[in-house]
Amino acid sequence: MSKQYRTIGRRDFLTGVGALGLTGLVTFPGLAHAQGRRNALLIGLDIGDSITFDTARLAQYSSPMTLKAVYDTLVTMAPGDYINLKPNLATAWEYRADGKAVRFKLRQGVKFASGNPVTAEDVKWSIERVINLKDQPSQYVAHVERVDIVSPDTVDVVLKDPTQPILTILAAPSFSILDSKLLTMHGATAGADAKDADKATVWLNGNSGGSGPYSLTAWERNQQIQLARNGNYWGDKAGYERVVIRHMSESAAQLLALKRGDIDIAFNLIPEQIATLKGDPQIEIVGTPSLDFIYMAVSENADANPALKKKQNRHAIGFAIDYDGIINSLIGGSAVRPASFLPVGVNGSTVETTKQIGFKQDLDRAKKLLAEAGNPEGFAFELTYSNNAIAGVSYQNLAQKLQADLGRVGIKVNLNPIDQVNLRTLFNQGKLQSVLTFWNPPAVENQLWASATVNRVAKRVHWTPPDDMRKLVDDASAERNLAKAATMWRKYQEGMVDAANLFVLIQPIFQVAVRKSVTGFKPTAAGWMAELGGAKPV
Amino acid sequence: MLRYLISRVVTAFVMVLLATLVIFLIANTAPGDPALAQLGDLAASNPEFVKAFRAKWGLDLPLWERYFIFVKGLAHGDFGISIVSQRPVLDDIRDFAPATIELATIAFVLSIAIGIPLGILAAVRRDSWIDHSARFVSLIGVSAPTFWLAFIMLAVFYGMLEIAPGPGRVDPIAFLPPKVTGMLLIDCILAGDWATLHDAAAHLVLPATVLAAATLGLITRTTRAAMLESLSQDYVRVARAKGLVELRVVLGHALPNALIPVVTLGGLAYANLLTGAVMTETVFSWPGLGRYTFRSAVAVDFPAIMAITFIVAVVYIAINFLVDMSYALLDPRAVKR
Repeated sequence: MSKQYRTIGRRDFLTGVGALGLTGLVTFPGLAHAQGRRNALLIGLDIGDSITFDTARLAQYSSPMTLKAVYDTLVTMAPGDYINLKPNLATAWEYRADGKAVRFKLRQGVKFASGNPVTAEDVKWSIERVINLKDQPSQYVAHVERVDIVSPDTVDVVLKDPTQPILTILAAPSFSILDSKLLTMHGATAGADAKDADKATVWLNGNSGGSGPYSLTAWERNQQIQLARNGNYWGDKAGYERVVIRHMSESAAQLLALKRGDIDIAFNLIPEQIATLKGDPQIEIVGTPSLDFIYMAVSENADANPALKKKQNRHAIGFAIDYDGIINSLIGGSAVRPASFLPVGVNGSTVETTKQIGFKQDLDRAKKLLAEAGNPEGFAFELTYSNNAIAGVSYQNLAQKLQADLGRVGIKVNLNPIDQVNLRTLFNQGKLQSVLTFWNPPAVENQLWASATVNRVAKRVHWTPPDDMRKLVDDASAERNLAKAATMWRKYQEGMVDAANLFVLIQPIFQVAVRKSVTGFKPTAAGWMAELGGAKPV
Repeated sequence: MLRYLISRVVTAFVMVLLATLVIFLIANTAPGDPALAQLGDLAASNPEFVKAFRAKWGLDLPLWERYFIFVKGLAHGDFGISIVSQRPVLDDIRDFAPATIELATIAFVLSIAIGIPLGILAAVRRDSWIDHSARFVSLIGVSAPTFWLAFIMLAVFYGMLEIAPGPGRVDPIAFLPPKVTGMLLIDCILAGDWATLHDAAAHLVLPATVLAAATLGLITRTTRAAMLESLSQDYVRVARAKGLVELRVVLGHALPNALIPVVTLGGLAYANLLTGAVMTETVFSWPGLGRYTFRSAVAVDFPAIMAITFIVAVVYIAINFLVDMSYALLDPRAVKR
């Protein structure tokens, strides 16, 4: 018997020793891929949210950057200017004389990466596919009746409701122009039955049919996205043969990889990490104000909290918050703040507007308002937030800061951290007294922010907007003169500040760390993070 | 032996069935609305979109009917469609599991290969410097938080000393070999791509070490304790009295008897490595099952959560079954009991 046992013991032991020897042999290699690096742009980004690269199904945060690099839209927005549209596949556009359609002149001589020419049919097909696929992007073109081909270089986007904005919407990556011939071969359809008949999403998740500076060549979930230069691109040739967008979910890992030169660009660094890079001779920090923001919503629901029903009390909250302190202490000063629900950078919202019409800290005034409301000793309310962090700011820290600020005028904030999905469930049902949460737009269109505040978000905070507020939002959205619209949007914000249900606290400045071996890289807040097409090796 | 085998198989089967019920109830009675976890703000406020979403994922059906669909699917090897990734959960698992299996297996081999010899040495040379350092190493391994250890390892060996490669399974610039098993080491060998093999193996060293640390500590301590006990037994004294060489006494007589608790622990530890790599995978940007599980839980992705939990349950049950079988080999008395 003992012989049998010995065999087992020895075998185990030998396996162990053998394995030990084997692992010892695996030594660390140096950087074996040095030559390949110059021709490739390596990006570290958390792409954990990417679930599709089908433009017509897009509803995520990280995938638009890739889509914008491989597809073109009719019109676009240049980084930093979110008011004036720029030509892309359309060279000119104007509302038709009857006002019921927008007429686009198409750029001539443009080819898709496949070599097929970009035609008016492709434009019609692409927009109608979004509508008929009935996935989330279709909601933003619900007011599009159809697309008419007027001539080979002219299309009309015909609107059911011409007061609803369309041009800014069409700049979003969901409304990219796809190679209809190629896509049809891979099971796509734009017909009325597209919702069930279209089978192209799987193909689009690993390939692309666009006319942008790059083409999508592979996507390995939670691992990487690979792009290759599109030789047929109509604009300036892309700077790199390949782009590899590497999934890095941890900002600390991105920082190390950037410092080591394993990646050229790090997207998800938090403010503390950015600070450590300042002065690094090989790394540059490029920033641009985002159009996203963190806000506090305060409900008027008297059943939940009678004190919050009184407008003076909500105004007291607005005057008690230390806005500058929040931005300086929680995000290292790299943020701005709009007056209300229109981010700084869109039409009618600037830092100057905030100074003129926004709340600013004034503790005496807050105390006076509390006394007027009949709550001279202050009151208590519950603030709900999720245990997440946005742009390196944890809701927990922000909530504690607000608790301290409001405590100075006698308003007691009870903190209630819960998980994000529960928070959304309860907030959308209008059951929370107040909430800290985040807003980011699917396209840069003022109406998408403003109409939410007088409709669905108003319901969540039990606010009944006066009729003239609703009318103001409709009129400003329909106004085609940008200067006139700006005045109206300013008036809208004054109304929102007065209603005092939504306090926008932090609009982060989006900061990206780039190695100096890369030039021409431009981050953008238009919804696709960055223009990869212009990046070039030094 | 056959009776023993059959009784274990039947127990395992009943356990799996019970597991489906528990898994289903936990996943489906958790608070939070999956529609709100997935839809954008505008869509989530549009009753038609929400209704279509519920109908698409079967969330509008009664609970018992959903359970029936779930078990029926499982019986056909169909785990359903993930709400988050919008494709079959089985495809997701097929994509993410190999990375985890590869990492966990290497970590397991590491912890066995170092832990058992270290435990034996510590027991044989009790209270010597080897014993003390073994205890110190296992203490560190067991008590250091994985998240912390992972960052420290990455910062020291990748950031400062620059002798280890960074996060991920291969260098960003490397081309991956054609996918056969999804386990890069094997796929590289199959493709004869030695450069990428080297790269992938190097990328495994840090995460595998971090993952192995806790298990290594446990295995060392258990081996040491079990060896100490069996070294003090009468049959060891007899073996020594008959004049056997010490090596044979230790490896031939004491070790096999000490292995039973180690095998039990080893089995559980392997299951634990396979299912508990979330932190390591996060820090090392490892595209594995741990990250996938975590994300599914956060997003209330019922089908994915149920499938993963089911697989975890099956892995544990299967490994326990194998451990039971190995008792029979290590200790014939187990069968008779």
